Amino acid sequence: MIVSFIPILAVDVAGSVAMVVIALLCLYKAKVLRGMDPDNAVFLYLLWISTGFTIFAVSRSFGHILRQFLILTSNADAWHAITSYSGSVNTVSFMLVGLITLFFNQSWHINEKILASRKKLEDTHIKLMDLNQTLEHKVVARTEMLTSSEHKARRIFEQSLDTIVVTDERFNIAEINQAGVTLTGYKKREMLEKKMGLKDFMAKDLEWERIQGLLEVDEYILNEETDFFLPNFSQVRVLMTGGVDYGAFGCGKTFHFIIKNINDKKQMEQQIAQADKLAALGELSAGVAHEINNPLGIILGYTQLMLKEDSGFEADLKIIEKHVKNCKTVVSDLLAFSRKGSLKKSRVDVTTIIDGVIKFLANHTDFRNVEIGMDHFCKTPLVISGNEQELAQVIINLLINACHAVEKKGRIEIETRQTTDHKILITVKDNGTGIRKKYFSRIFDPFFTTKPVGQGTGLGLSVGYGIIRSHGGDITARNRETKGAAFTISLPLVPMDPV
Amino acid sequence: MQKKIRFKMPLFLKIIPVLVTAGLLLLPFPAAATQLHASSEGIITHQVGHLFFLFSMVALLFTITGKGLNTQRGWRLIQYSAFFFILWNLDALAAHFLDNQIYAVTIENISLGQIRVNVQNGSSFLAGVYYLLKLDHLLCVPAMLFLYKGLSHLVTKQQQMMTKKDRP
Repeated sequence: MIVSFIPILAVDVAGSVAMVVIALLCLYKAKVLRGMDPDNAVFLYLLWISTGFTIFAVSRSFGHILRQFLILTSNADAWHAITSYSGSVNTVSFMLVGLITLFFNQSWHINEKILASRKKLEDTHIKLMDLNQTLEHKVVARTEMLTSSEHKARRIFEQSLDTIVVTDERFNIAEINQAGVTLTGYKKREMLEKKMGLKDFMAKDLEWERIQGLLEVDEYILNEETDFFLPNFSQVRVLMTGGVDYGAFGCGKTFHFIIKNINDKKQMEQQIAQADKLAALGELSAGVAHEINNPLGIILGYTQLMLKEDSGFEADLKIIEKHVKNCKTVVSDLLAFSRKGSLKKSRVDVTTIIDGVIKFLANHTDFRNVEIGMDHFCKTPLVISGNEQELAQVIINLLINACHAVEKKGRIEIETRQTTDHKILITVKDNGTGIRKKYFSRIFDPFFTTKPVGQGTGLGLSVGYGIIRSHGGDITARNRETKGAAFTISLPLVPMDPV
Repeated sequence: MQKKIRFKMPLFLKIIPVLVTAGLLLLPFPAAATQLHASSEGIITHQVGHLFFLFSMVALLFTITGKGLNTQRGWRLIQYSAFFFILWNLDALAAHFLDNQIYAVTIENISLGQIRVNVQNGSSFLAGVYYLLKLDHLLCVPAMLFLYKGLSHLVTKQQQMMTKKDRP
C-alpha cells in the first residue's frame, strides 16, 4: 500500500521540536514551583519528573530528527549504524521517567509528613511565642511587685520609729536604720567600720549573755527588756524582739532585731504609779487628819480654858498647848496634801507670787549666802486660777528645800515660761547635791525626809504636791545634767481678759 | 510469664547450605561468566521499557484520583497528561510489535514524498492502522502540553496561596 510520507514526516519533525520546547517549559515551571517552596517534596518530585521528561524528549526528538534527516539524505546505512544507540538511550530515558513517576506516592507522603511537622512546628512556635510573651509579662509583673515590695520594705526599715538592726551570726551590726542611730547615739558609719555588735550597747554583760543564750537555744527572743548604755553615759530602757534568718540564695545566717525605746513609757508608768500611791496616801491622810483634828480641837479648847484659871500647872498646860498646835499644823498640812482644803481661788499672776516669795525669803538668815536668780522667759503676765497663799507656800517649800540642798551656800534659779499648749512651767533649780536615785519614788510621800530627826516633818513636798494637783497641775523632780536638782511645776494658764 | 523457647538448629543442618554452595561452585562444569545475547533482546527491552512507562503512568493516574487531587485543576491536567502518555505507550507498543517484533509490516521509501507499507498478509486495514500508529506525536505532544499546563496552574495557585499568606 503506497501512502504519502509527508504527514508522517511533518508530525515527526514538528512533534519532536514541540516535545523538546514543551519539555523545557515544563522544566522551567517545575523550577519556579520548587523555588516557591523548596521544602515541598511534591514540587521536588515534579522537578525530577520534568527533568526526566526533558531528557526523554531531547533524546527521542534528537533520534527522530536525525533518522528523518539521514533517510531523506539517502544515508539509511548510517542511521542503521546508530539506531541501536538512539533506541537504547530513548529506552533508558522513558524508563527513567517511569521510575521517577512511581515515587509520586512516597513523595506525597514525605510532603505530608513535612507539612504536618511544619504545622506542628508553627503551632509550637506560636505556643512558644505565647508562652514567651506570658513569661515576659509575668517577669515584668513580678519585677514590679518585687520593686514595690522592696520599696515598701525599705520604707518600713528607714521610716520605722523603732530601731531595726540586722546583724551577722556573731551579732555584729550589718545594717541599722535611722531610729537605731538616734537611739544608740553612734553614727552608722562608725558602727559598721568598728564592727560594733549588740553586746557593745548592753549596760550589763550578764543581760547580753542571757539574751544570747535564748537566741542560741530558741533562735528568737520576744519582748526582752534590757538597758542600753549610751555614749553620753546614760542608760535607756529598751524592749528587744529578734530572730534568726537563714537567708536564701547562698546568703549567710543573719539575725534581725526590732528594738523599742520604752524609757519614756517606763517613766510614765512610774509617774502614774507614784500618782496613784500619793492619791491613796492622800485619802488615808484625810481620814486620819479628820479623826485626829476633832480630838485635838477639844484638847486645845480645854487646855486654853484651864490656862485662864489659876491651876498651878500653867507651864505644863503651855507645853500641851504648844504641842497640840504643832499637831494641828501637821493635820492641816495633811489636809492640804489630801486636797481637802476649801480655800477660794482667784486669778493670780505667778510672776508676782514668785517675786513676793523671793523678797520674803531674801531677809531670812538661811538665804544670806544663797544667790537667787530669776528668769522670766515670758514678758506677759502668767495668770492662773488659784489660791495665792497656797501657791506661795509651794514656792517657799521648794526654795527652802533647795536652800538645804545647797547647804545654805549656793545658787538657786527660778524660771518661768509659757508652753505652746497653754501651760506655765515654774522650775526651781539648785546646784546642790541632787536627789539620790533611790529616793525619786518617795520624795512626794508624806513624812518622807532625808533631814535629821527634828529638822523636818517630811510634809513640805507632799503638801506642795497636793496643792499643785488641786490646781489641776503637776509637779516633777529630776536631777540636773550638771549638778543639783530641778523641780518643775506645770499649771494650766488662764487666758487674758480682752482689753 | 511465658518463657521464650528458642529452637536450636543442629550442626548438620547448618552445614547443608555451605555444602550446597560449595558444590555448585566447585562442580566440574565449563565456566559461563558471560551470557550471549540475541539481537531481539533490544526490542524486547524497549517494549518492556514502554510497558514500565505505561504502568507508571497508570499508577500516577490512579494515585492522583486516589488522593482526591483530581478536584484541583493543575493535578487534573497532569492526570490528562498521564492518560495521553498511556495512549502514546500503547501506540508505540503496537507499532514496535508490528514492525520490530513480528515483522508484520515493513516500510519502503518509493520517493521523497511517498512510502510503501508492506503488510505480510496484504491487509490494507493493518497498513492503515500502522500508518496512524506512526503519527504517535499526536499523542505525546498533547501529553507534554497537558503536563506544562498542569505545572503552570500549580505555579499560579502557589503564587495565590503565598500572596494570601503574606496578606496581613
